[in-house]
Amino acid sequence: MAAIEIKQVGKSYALNRRQSLVALDGIDLCVRDGEFIALIGPSGCGKSTLLHLVAALEPVTSGSILIDGEPPVALRERHKLGIAFQEHALLPWLSVEGNLALPYRIAGLAIDNVRIKNLIALVGLEGFESARPRQLSGGMRQRAAIARSLCLEPSLLLLDEPFGALDAVTRRRLNVEMQRIWMERRVTTLLVTHSVDEALFLADRVVVMTGRPGRIAEIIDVPFARPRGAEVLRSEAFHRMMDYLTGLLEP
Amino acid sequence: MREAPNTPASRLAYAIGAPLCLLAAFELLARSGVAGLTVPTVESIVRIYLKPRFAALLWRSAVATGGSAAVGMFAGVFIGTATAFTAHLLPPLRPGLDRLAVTVSAIPALALGPIFVLLVSRETVPELLAAIPVAFLIYVAVSSGLRTAPISLGQMMTTFGAGRLQRLFYLEVPSALPSFLGGLKVSCTAAMIGAIVGEWFGAPTGLGIVILNTMQNFEIPLMWAAVLLTAAISLGGYGLAHLAERAVARRFA
Repeated sequence: MAAIEIKQVGKSYALNRRQSLVALDGIDLCVRDGEFIALIGPSGCGKSTLLHLVAALEPVTSGSILIDGEPPVALRERHKLGIAFQEHALLPWLSVEGNLALPYRIAGLAIDNVRIKNLIALVGLEGFESARPRQLSGGMRQRAAIARSLCLEPSLLLLDEPFGALDAVTRRRLNVEMQRIWMERRVTTLLVTHSVDEALFLADRVVVMTGRPGRIAEIIDVPFARPRGAEVLRSEAFHRMMDYLTGLLEP
Repeated sequence: MREAPNTPASRLAYAIGAPLCLLAAFELLARSGVAGLTVPTVESIVRIYLKPRFAALLWRSAVATGGSAAVGMFAGVFIGTATAFTAHLLPPLRPGLDRLAVTVSAIPALALGPIFVLLVSRETVPELLAAIPVAFLIYVAVSSGLRTAPISLGQMMTTFGAGRLQRLFYLEVPSALPSFLGGLKVSCTAAMIGAIVGEWFGAPTGLGIVILNTMQNFEIPLMWAAVLLTAAISLGGYGLAHLAERAVARRFA
């Protein structure tokens, strides 16, 4: 597993010769080994950008990000980074099995068919091993994408609104599954989400961000014991925290 | 408006009916005598194909022209694909290669013919003139196809630790396949045109030669037989590429 140290990170994009857009400013965040962090905030507050910086998809403008004391590229090159996007990002010409085998091929490892079978079972896609992404529903594609992110036993899992495009019922069900999957092997996780209750249900800590420029407004510890079930969602404490967080998100 | 029906039976009816209608119109035109002697009856053309002497000539010529078109096609596909990959993997070269491709394809084949006659030999001009438009069409098709992969898929590959060549192999090449086959389809006709025009610069045999000689000797039915054979070879290549495109589209698009 990995611990992340984000120190005074800023990110800006040049709009033209004179102006630049500050997407992130002075982000300080320490993620402990095996911790589940949810990032919430209004659209355009830079939470996805922060995730991209941790995945080393873009360079930071200022500050530094270290994962276990190394720059993020190092983790990626060791193929220990798992990621799932809002769009499933499955290769349309490969079956579910083929898509799950892809991380092994990229890493140059022997394809572990037993593990792929287990992961498919873990996300509840038995019987769809040879189906192509277009033959699956939106929820099933996201499950396949999450299974793929777990293939190489990542030490850091990045989830960029993986359930964002789903309906409320499917989303709730996948949240419950996500918790079960995560509890099997508590991998350090960063989840970007729009949904306050998803964040509270899944995370150990919720990081609330404000927009333009993106800054951290508050970091909140979530006290509920795991596994969290439906009774947590109905509890008064959960609703009080939801009201509080929703209040923070209002401009 | 009612939609045209699209069942296997209706498609077959179109495939047989449309050429039959065309043939009927051709026959009517020939018999009416409006076009004089230049449009022969269908029967006289069919008789040409049945005469062993003409059939042998046409077969020999078709093999020569088809062979040149095929060689030009392979060479063009290879050159076009290799250039597109180079431009894709070495972005600084892209603008230059784009312009070079456009420039070469903008020069009319008829202007290049004499140069090639001097540079190489008369026999290789059909192949060269077939290869040039194919190389251009394939270059355009492949280089745009390689860029059709969605950014999100590229980011996914990168986060799993894929290098440049792995991204090319697992993502960009499969994404470019439909576009490549589209390019191959239009290339078939272009290669045939190039081969025919190339033969006019003094190739010993070929359908281009037959068409030219019969026109000058006023052997109208034989000329039409050669023209229709040329069209059939072109359409055959187009049809094959179309089948491949459909099979790939089902999986990759």
